[in-house]
Amino acid sequence: MSPSTFWTLYKRELRGIFVSPVAYVVLGGCSLIIGAGFSVFLHAMIENNVKGSPLLSWLLGSFVFWFTVMIETPLISMRALSEEYKMGTIEMLLTAPVREWEVVLSKFAALATFYVVLWLPAALDVSYLYVFSDQKWDMTWGMALLPFAMVFLIGFLYIAIGLFASSLTKNQVIAAILGFAFIFIAFCVGLLGVFDLGERGRDIIAYVSGTQHMDTFCRGIFDTRPVVFYLSTTFFFLFLTQRVLESRRLRS
Amino acid sequence: MIEVSNFSKTYAGFKAVQGISFQVNKGEIVGFLGPNGAGKSTTMKVLAGYLPPTDGRIKVAGYDVVGESLEVRRNVGYMPENVPLYTDMRVDEFLRFRARLKGVPAKKVRDRVEHVARLCNLLDVQRKVIGTLSKGFRQRVGLADAMVHDPQLLILDEPTIGLDPHQIRSVRDLIRSLGAHHTILLSTHILSEVEATCNRVLIINRGRIEASDTPANLTRLVRGGGALVVEVRAQRMAVAEKLAAVADVEEVEILQESGEWTFAKVFAKTGVDIRDGVYEAIRSEGWPLRELSRTRATLEDVFVELTQD
Repeated sequence: MSPSTFWTLYKRELRGIFVSPVAYVVLGGCSLIIGAGFSVFLHAMIENNVKGSPLLSWLLGSFVFWFTVMIETPLISMRALSEEYKMGTIEMLLTAPVREWEVVLSKFAALATFYVVLWLPAALDVSYLYVFSDQKWDMTWGMALLPFAMVFLIGFLYIAIGLFASSLTKNQVIAAILGFAFIFIAFCVGLLGVFDLGERGRDIIAYVSGTQHMDTFCRGIFDTRPVVFYLSTTFFFLFLTQRVLESRRLRS
Repeated sequence: MIEVSNFSKTYAGFKAVQGISFQVNKGEIVGFLGPNGAGKSTTMKVLAGYLPPTDGRIKVAGYDVVGESLEVRRNVGYMPENVPLYTDMRVDEFLRFRARLKGVPAKKVRDRVEHVARLCNLLDVQRKVIGTLSKGFRQRVGLADAMVHDPQLLILDEPTIGLDPHQIRSVRDLIRSLGAHHTILLSTHILSEVEATCNRVLIINRGRIEASDTPANLTRLVRGGGALVVEVRAQRMAVAEKLAAVADVEEVEILQESGEWTFAKVFAKTGVDIRDGVYEAIRSEGWPLRELSRTRATLEDVFVELTQD
């Protein structure tokens, strides 16, 4: 891969995201929801006189958090490829000396960058509290940073799924709905742990369950298995996306 | 520059192109003509390395379009039909992006972009967002994009569609001047444009090549290529008989008779000049002559004749 090709595409994609109104609607909406969730949990903590440590795990284990992630990832990735199909720009793009996977990878990287930006307000909330509260925080660095690492890992997988959905259709709305459906299914598989599935079933669910991974990381425990799981599934969906892009061109 | 042999393309069972072969040599400007749905755009997409051929061998700039697609794309400037562009970018931004993508070295990007923007008369709109530009400007942005990496071969799919007559003329001049350094394959529906710019014409119909020659040779071949129009004061029957007897005349068609004057069209055998004979015949009868002129067949006639069902 030529690094300059990737860099050129990446810059263009990032720029494309930041000039679209969707980006700001999502950024505004998600900051609002997460911010509201944050202050609600903060209030609950103060009322019940709990020390600062469970704040992140409450927030990131909540329905509000998962709902936000599952909505925002398909929303930001829906237009990535659909728009190119619809406008016909994919033809212009792929008649330049560019490989399909350079296109896929650069789009993913730009979306992932934007996703990180989406979480800056939340990180700001937490650090703000850390700096200005006079409470003693019995919170280790791991407990503060690992949850965010997990937020990113999960989000990157969901973005890869959303990008894959976007590669299937030229209609953005369909791409968003498909993406949401895939992500929702992936999430729900992780909830199957509430049923009695026997020893083996429980182990498998534990391996893929986002909520359990988040719980582990929020306690400040680093586990390599989820990291491997998320990175490999992310790359799997990027690979699928590249295949779809290629087969669309070869078939048409 | 382009070598196509036995190329076919099938879309989901429909044969868009059926076993065509042709060549385009370095430095030529070739016009690619054909009715809608004849397979022009498909062929151009394949040449640009976007679609793979179903069958046949195609080499562009010495590279195979299937095996060496990236090399082909590096050496071809392709302007797709309807000119898809990123409408959220500014013109100069877009051209810089495309230049980098097509491998123009970072140091030269500025010069190249300015050069093509000047060639395509885009200097005034460089800072405008592409989405706000008119069709004519977008067309020129597409053309500038195709040329930005200084490719050996330009493949332009309907470069003048949707332009006003002034813009058509300027694009035509531009294409002709580009012909000095580039090989160009362009498709169009405006036949006068082809006559004005191209060295050679390829006519494709129903996925087959119907003709490949210079515009002048093609027009000579059609019926009426060297037809004469005469207007003389004589009876229509007499005119028809007398002129039909002239050597090499194929047919005499009386177009109109008004008063004593007869207006007729005389068709010659292909490639023969019958002006002398016709004049001599009229003079020998002593008929007053008001008009004797030669009609030239246009490419339009060729096109219609070759592509009608």
